[in-house]
Amino acid sequence: MSSPTSASSAATPRLRRNTMLWALLAMALFLVSTLLGLFLRLFQGNSFPAVEPVWFYSALTLHALIMVGAWFLGSMAGVHYLLSRYVRPSSAISELAMGGSVVGVVLISISTLLGKFGVGWYFLFPLPLYPNGAWSPWATIVFFAGLAILAVFWLAWVLDLLRAIARRYSLSMALGWHILRGAKEPEVPPLVLITTVSLVVVTAALVAAALVLALFVLHGSGRANVDALLMKNLTFLFGHIIVNITLYLGVAILYELLPAFAGRPWKTSWLVAFAWNAVLLLVLFAYLHHLYMDFAQPRWVQVVGQTASYFLSLPAAAVSVFGSLALIYRSGFRWTMASRLLVCGVLGWVIGGIAAVVDATVAVNSVFHNTLWVPAHFHTYYLMGVVLMVLAFFDHLSRELTGSDTDVPAAGWILSLLLLGGYGFLAMFYYGGATSVPRRFATYPEETLQGVIQARVAAAFVVLLLAALVIYLSRMAARCLRAFALCRNAS
Amino acid sequence: MIPQYKALLAFLIITAAATATFLWVTRNTANKERLNPEAVSKLRSRFAITCALLLIAALALTLPHLPYPRGSEIPDKVVFVAAKQFAFGLSEAPIASDAQWEAASQGPAVRIPANRLVEFRVTSLDVNHGFGVYSPGGTLLAQTQAMPGYVNRLRLRLQNPGRYPVLCLELCGMEHHSMRGIFEVFATGKE
Amino acid sequence: MTFPRIAACLAAGAAALWGQSPAGSLNQPPNEDLYLYHSVPDILVRPAGKPAMPLSELWRERPLLITMVFTRCAGVCYPFLRSLRTATESAGKPPSGYGILVLSFDSRDTASDMKAAAAGIGARADEGWIFATAAEESVRRLAEATGFWFRWDGERRQFDHPAVLLAVKHGRLVRLFTGGRIPAESLGAILRDLAGGFVPSYPLADKTSFRCFQYNAATGSYSLDWGAVLLVLPGAAAFLAALLTFRPWRRKCARAPFQAA
Repeated sequence: MSSPTSASSAATPRLRRNTMLWALLAMALFLVSTLLGLFLRLFQGNSFPAVEPVWFYSALTLHALIMVGAWFLGSMAGVHYLLSRYVRPSSAISELAMGGSVVGVVLISISTLLGKFGVGWYFLFPLPLYPNGAWSPWATIVFFAGLAILAVFWLAWVLDLLRAIARRYSLSMALGWHILRGAKEPEVPPLVLITTVSLVVVTAALVAAALVLALFVLHGSGRANVDALLMKNLTFLFGHIIVNITLYLGVAILYELLPAFAGRPWKTSWLVAFAWNAVLLLVLFAYLHHLYMDFAQPRWVQVVGQTASYFLSLPAAAVSVFGSLALIYRSGFRWTMASRLLVCGVLGWVIGGIAAVVDATVAVNSVFHNTLWVPAHFHTYYLMGVVLMVLAFFDHLSRELTGSDTDVPAAGWILSLLLLGGYGFLAMFYYGGATSVPRRFATYPEETLQGVIQARVAAAFVVLLLAALVIYLSRMAARCLRAFALCRNAS
Repeated sequence: MIPQYKALLAFLIITAAATATFLWVTRNTANKERLNPEAVSKLRSRFAITCALLLIAALALTLPHLPYPRGSEIPDKVVFVAAKQFAFGLSEAPIASDAQWEAASQGPAVRIPANRLVEFRVTSLDVNHGFGVYSPGGTLLAQTQAMPGYVNRLRLRLQNPGRYPVLCLELCGMEHHSMRGIFEVFATGKE
Repeated sequence: MTFPRIAACLAAGAAALWGQSPAGSLNQPPNEDLYLYHSVPDILVRPAGKPAMPLSELWRERPLLITMVFTRCAGVCYPFLRSLRTATESAGKPPSGYGILVLSFDSRDTASDMKAAAAGIGARADEGWIFATAAEESVRRLAEATGFWFRWDGERRQFDHPAVLLAVKHGRLVRLFTGGRIPAESLGAILRDLAGGFVPSYPLADKTSFRCFQYNAATGSYSLDWGAVLLVLPGAAAFLAALLTFRPWRRKCARAPFQAA
């Protein structure tokens, strides 16, 4: 049986080395960001009464941006590597993106940690221009400079992957339109289809981000009085898509990895092609659910938002999740740490998705919007979803490149601890949302004091999660370093 | 049951079903068997159609309950709300100056008759804020965004007398968590 | 943007949208915001040539627009009435769901004065126009409840007063318009409110660039504005980038076959 990644004889040593570097970078950022997350929950549990709340908001901003950035990059790295089975993306551009990402992260860290820039990842217009004494104008400028660098370098990487796909596939082939017309040949791997869809949509998100930055400059310089509603639409068009597509890139990896563990092929069927083309259309409108409480959006826009958000779950549930389960059912599935992480990742995606659909209901959103229910759902499909899928890829690849086939001892226990810590931490978010606890509050007012206890319990679970992560990731990091050294010697 | 718990319950039931399915499948992965592709495809189509029908049913059930009323009813009272870093000013008169906002945010709580339709006209004088109306017991009842340049109209009918806090539900700066407003609902004696 | 500027925008915005200026000094027209949804006193009025009746009889069946004038007015009354007449022509004539009461606040006005005033602007009873007088005390009560005021100027031998249009439904003030003349769009917006149309949000009129939507209060509909174009731009740019990358107009055989390294 072929190994999930062994067909990657096409992968050059440089690509392998780069992928290991990306893995190390993503894991390091992940750990730092998880520590920041722990700080946030401890702060909400009143553990730091002497620390000013401004630190909470700057840590919140950094936590979210690092987490989204780390896993967007991690999933891009995974997709880049796996795509090399079929096409040849440029390693140089990937290295450039890494350099740009490091600079961007450093600038954002300076802005938040030194400049106390605490506006949340979404820097909702016009808050960055109203510091009210909390941060200096230079922090705003450094933050936006960091974001601009990230947008430019990420866009370059995204476009290069598209270019690589375009060298071999026509657009209609890459999107599986011939399959929709009933043809069986030529075969297009799901990885290529999903990646094409995702990259096109990410391009839209990055253009939206660039537009937001440009409009900020226009407004900040006094040349125009920009509409706050437009800015909010653009902000969530960008933010929602980046997070959503990170998940889909993780799913692209899933489509490529899972068949090897199951020993069954996962081909682009008519339904798979249809589902991902539907995603291409729907995902551009799903972000509207972030603006349900903006009564200034016309009623029909809100109805489109709920409908698009609901039906976006259909391709996922009915095609990819069903497909995953059908693939492994009575397949003689090979259970390793990587394959377990993959299956757990699918479950996290499903649970987070259900919570997302609940919250995407306008009538429900009226009492859930900006409560802890929102971080509950996206932490579920992020932390317990795409993160596990991408970690599965790194785990498997690092094992393959170093030739260490067997799982570490107590792998099962580590996974159990990870799931216990993760879901325990998430349960407090869900419970918080159901008990009206607002999100993004440094400390809780007397009406929602239940949030304090929930934060403390959540922090305890985060400690368990961190323990599992430190044990698991330190071993993986050592393997990645070994693989990196081997690849360097090979080249 | 408050809507939050209903939503939580719906979430827990669907999640339990999904998790049970996962557990059942993952416990049935060992014996290698060749699946009939046609049977799988048929099952998948059925599953997809069932999911689609459930989603359509959920849309049909929930879309009539949009929080933006058609408004054939005339409200009994209008309350003007101006949000600004870091307090809500609530007043029976429009808030058009710094002094008015300060007076409204520091003055006595606006009084609203119980069981009467009240219209909150919500705007912001600086950044985006979220006008989140909580019950005296701390349950989120309704909300609308306070966005600069727009006036959002939230209509509510509150039954129980008491002091209703308003919390800010959109990150608005370093004192976001302490931004609040208050109004008082009083019994009218007629109901 | 500084606070005073925003406050000014707010005030001006409310004024532009609701068609009046906020109350400031004694000589200002009434501020709609201060009287919204208040009960209108059910005073007794005497329609010209008909027996006296309470206002509630007029608003029981259909919404009622009320304006207050005096027939010897050399100022705003007649231009305002004529603009109201013109606005009703384009917005739909009165019998289609509302009545218009023109009430004199001048105790000297008689039934025949009111008839002459009606004839002067071409307003007909079968089109829903009612020209009426009322007791001085009743007029004062109505004025006080709606913020309307009038003062005798002995020098000019005229009343000093604003021009207002009260929109009343089931005895409650739903809208209050002030201004020298009423545009058809403003009347349309008022009639939409009276018919139960409700818009959950309205923009404040300031120099905002790139709005996503423009709301038309008279029709209750939204149209797309330049901001909506900006919203479509990212999606369009992405598809354009995809097209430029894949270049579907090129022949497919030109594609390089994949060779593993």
